[in-house]
Amino acid sequence: MNKYLLSAGALFIGTSAAFAHITLETQEAPVGSTYKAVLRVPHGCEGKATTAVRVQIPEGVISVKPMPNPGWTLQTKQGRYEKSYQLYGEAVTSGVKEVDWSGGSLPDEFYDEFVFRGTLAADLPAGETLYFPVVQECEGAAERWIEIPAAGQDEDALENPAPGLKLLPKK
Amino acid sequence: MTFSGGAFERARRCLHGGCMSAAFFGRTMCISGKRAGRLAVGLLAVLVLLVVLGLPERALAHAALVKTDPVDGAVLAQGPSQFSLTFSEPVSPLVLTLVRPDGTSVALTSFRLSDQTVAIDNPQKLKSGTHVLSWRVISTDGHPVGGSVLFSIGAPSTPPVAAEPVDWDLRSAIWLGKVFLYIGLFLGVGGAFALAWLAESGRCGRRFVIAALLAGLVAAPVSLGLQGLDALGASLAGLAQPVVWRTAFGTSFGWTVLIGLMALGLALLSLAGPRIGAKTFALAGLAGVGAALTASGHASAAEPQWLTRPMVFLHGVGIAFWAGALAPLGLAVRWQSGEAGPFLRRFSRAILPVVAVLAAAGIVLAVIQVQTPAALVNTGYGRLLLVKLVLLLFLFTLATVNRWTLTAPAEAGATEVQRRLVRSIGAEVLIVLAIFAVAAGWRFTPPPRALAIAAAQPASVHIHTLKAMADLSITPGHAGPVIASMVIMTGDFGPLDAKQVTLVLSKPDSGIEPIKRPATKPGDGSWRVDDLVIPVPGRWTARLDILVSDFEMVKIEAPIDIRAE
Repeated sequence: MNKYLLSAGALFIGTSAAFAHITLETQEAPVGSTYKAVLRVPHGCEGKATTAVRVQIPEGVISVKPMPNPGWTLQTKQGRYEKSYQLYGEAVTSGVKEVDWSGGSLPDEFYDEFVFRGTLAADLPAGETLYFPVVQECEGAAERWIEIPAAGQDEDALENPAPGLKLLPKK
Repeated sequence: MTFSGGAFERARRCLHGGCMSAAFFGRTMCISGKRAGRLAVGLLAVLVLLVVLGLPERALAHAALVKTDPVDGAVLAQGPSQFSLTFSEPVSPLVLTLVRPDGTSVALTSFRLSDQTVAIDNPQKLKSGTHVLSWRVISTDGHPVGGSVLFSIGAPSTPPVAAEPVDWDLRSAIWLGKVFLYIGLFLGVGGAFALAWLAESGRCGRRFVIAALLAGLVAAPVSLGLQGLDALGASLAGLAQPVVWRTAFGTSFGWTVLIGLMALGLALLSLAGPRIGAKTFALAGLAGVGAALTASGHASAAEPQWLTRPMVFLHGVGIAFWAGALAPLGLAVRWQSGEAGPFLRRFSRAILPVVAVLAAAGIVLAVIQVQTPAALVNTGYGRLLLVKLVLLLFLFTLATVNRWTLTAPAEAGATEVQRRLVRSIGAEVLIVLAIFAVAAGWRFTPPPRALAIAAAQPASVHIHTLKAMADLSITPGHAGPVIASMVIMTGDFGPLDAKQVTLVLSKPDSGIEPIKRPATKPGDGSWRVDDLVIPVPGRWTARLDILVSDFEMVKIEAPIDIRAE
């Protein structure tokens, strides 16, 4: 009996965890284009209010500009890219590597979106998926949406998958 | 009271079965001995209780296998250059065999001993598939123990058969040999001591004691051969092979048999040799009994040695003193021989301090071996002890009946009651024999002490991936409350300063959801999880979620076997 209760409970928690994933609104985009990333935050961490959202910008996403959210402090971390990219005829070697929205409070029962925009470098491999690892911080807890599936691994098998963007061929 | 010539004459007739008639002289001697007899019977009952409570030190088999390399169930990329087996006490290997996936086996003859570890060279390149490392070793207690370690190269295959069937014929023979060795040492050598010192070279019971000594003299070498067979895993048919005897002499039980034979010989000499040296020979024989028991057995191998070995010695000597005197004493009272009186008086005077020492030694050894009261019920060893307690109950009942219903009429001269008293002593001797039989059964059950050492061993696994590696050990390695300890490194053995480590234990086939626990850093560079309970034994999957940096998590996993107990 207890076992069934446990399994039922686990099933419930499992499902709610799936709903609670932080995901991108637009999950496909062609390389060499400007991409508007909308991070959807549907839940807090285990019922607690979200107080910070931090996203790591993967290599190949350049010229990132985040959108401020009212009530949140917006910060970026700059860094060098692994290589030089061409943007409107100019070489770009560094830029935003991480975006932090912090100091806010998003209760578990509310929904919010965190937005940034960037350019997908033209030489990114089309057909593959780019991952944006996100750390969701709450009061005394954290959820790390940072898992990237290994080659051949099913993304659904991950407990805390990083939001992914499928790269389409250049238009 | 001293012996007159008449008493000697009576005693000699006793030997030839001629002292049954209650002649006036003998009758006075026997009556005066009865009070002492009652006391002795009561004391004996107390003594037996203490012996039963304190005996669990002989027999006792088995060093426990603590650690193996490769670990049981391991899957390796390629064959190791050597194997190692670590035990709970020092051992010497008898038979080491590698069974290959196709079922053929190769003897491993090159090995080194260091402390409690046996390092074995792997002589050949191993093909892929599941191999069985079959081992048989003998520990310092003189008892062989065997087992096998399964490991696979590349991927597991159907394990080749390496079963160890129980040879019941051999087991029965070993048990019987042990019982007769006890009879020889305790009833024989002890009896010779009683005749020389307590009965002042009395004759009653002499034939019984000589028979017991002869039984021991036959049983000792036979037991040694059986020990050799058991050590090699051979059957009874191989008893004539020299290697069996060489092996047996190489074990500590060889010493037990050698010293035991000397003790038996000395006792025989005290009975059949010149009267002058009788007491000296008998005393040396008695000491030999203690020394023989000290030479082997799990109690002698238990730590601390400075305590256990002297305790075993005192315990063995005590049993021989008491059990040996029982038969001659009973026979003397039965035939109402002249020696019965002084015999009983000396016995009753000496037995008190002997009881005290015997009991103290027994209790110390019992505490070391059994450890917890629960082990009395949970282990085969403990259950044998309980059987002995039941035997004791009978013995105690007999003694009580003697004391409260038989003694007074017997004292008043009721011949029928005297006979019942003698029969009662006879029954006590039989119960003592039954107790020897039970004690010999301990040869086949490891004591709770050794079981506890085995149970407390951690289950360990080494997980190695390109990104990270970890040594995980779960202590104790069986189902129940445990502590998990982890050492995390990078894939190339460098330090890995993880921000966070989470242990996830799962067992999909059991229907139990994964157990997920964050680890803490106790400050010694390791990670640990304290509040962990593993609900069921079996093969679990241990996964470590290692947070390398804010946005990077490395997950590594490996199977880990959790024992039932």
